[in-house]
Amino acid sequence: MIKGQKVEVFVLKERCKGCGICVAVCQTEVLELSKEKNSLGYRHPVVINADRCLNCGLCEMFCPDFAIWATIEKESVLG
Amino acid sequence: MAVKQKSSSLENIFHPTDYFLESDIFPTVWCPGCGIGTAVYSFFEACKEKDIDRDDLYIISGVGCTGKIAEFLSLPSCSVTDGHIIEKAVHINEHNPEKKIVLFLNNADFLISGGKEFKKARRKNLNILIIYINNLIYTLSRDQAFPMTPYMRTSIQGEFEIPFNIPYMACSIGASFVARWTPIRAGWMKQSFVESFSVIGLSVVEVLSPCLIYDANKGRILDPVEKMAFYNDNSEIQFWVPIKNLDIRRQKKIIIGKFLDKNRINDD
Repeated sequence: MIKGQKVEVFVLKERCKGCGICVAVCQTEVLELSKEKNSLGYRHPVVINADRCLNCGLCEMFCPDFAIWATIEKESVLG
Repeated sequence: MAVKQKSSSLENIFHPTDYFLESDIFPTVWCPGCGIGTAVYSFFEACKEKDIDRDDLYIISGVGCTGKIAEFLSLPSCSVTDGHIIEKAVHINEHNPEKKIVLFLNNADFLISGGKEFKKARRKNLNILIIYINNLIYTLSRDQAFPMTPYMRTSIQGEFEIPFNIPYMACSIGASFVARWTPIRAGWMKQSFVESFSVIGLSVVEVLSPCLIYDANKGRILDPVEKMAFYNDNSEIQFWVPIKNLDIRRQKKIIIGKFLDKNRINDD
């Protein structure tokens, strides 16, 4: 990630099972487990500090349910 | 086999590995925090790095939790009863010699019912990749010990029989690539999958997957993060160590790493 680029974090909350690995793995504390539950009754992660994300890809790598990933926003790449 | 096509305009909305997955039937059936999903993810990341399309692959899985992998894939795949998996791989290899065959096996498929078949894979000289997902227990038959269980709730003081040593067994049969990783080292695991694609012959990658029902001392289902931390603390990476000392005991640390690679120069 280059300085000035924006990173967007996507969470598919209906796939999540609330294991909390993504929250534990994130070094810059972007994520937090939510208070509300999804349709299966699990607490899914929500993004609280979107500015801090470094696009390291650890949450995507360790998620066993294919529910979270991060990409660089296209507008910031062009600009 | 009919394969679903995804429209390219929705490419950025889906997960990066959704090209290989049947994303309509999610969520998956595994426990929260199970290591099977991480192993599947890092395998398909390796496929993307080597530019392998989904029609070049054939994936066979066995029974149990690991056998459910074939249900979630959008590429040619099937799940076979344990004890007949390598035979199925032989038949598919005869008819489609250009396809890369990948087997996701669990304890019963690899050691118990399929134990005799593992030798057949070398004798037939198959060019396959075996991903052995080892969770150290028979999960679905409720905490039953099996030949690699070091210690568990039903035998807290430890099993008195000597556990199996899978890398030693694979090397003695004549495999070309042997490695062992845990899902907490997912990046290393992905690199091993990438390297195993360029090796000709039988390659075996053992994945020590955390099973939440296997609880060591405490008699309760562990927290997933706690379980990952257990594997992080009790394992250490060592490359090219003597393969005789690689069995999993209670007192020792689990040694993970890459142990054999026929592509490496000066390696016998």
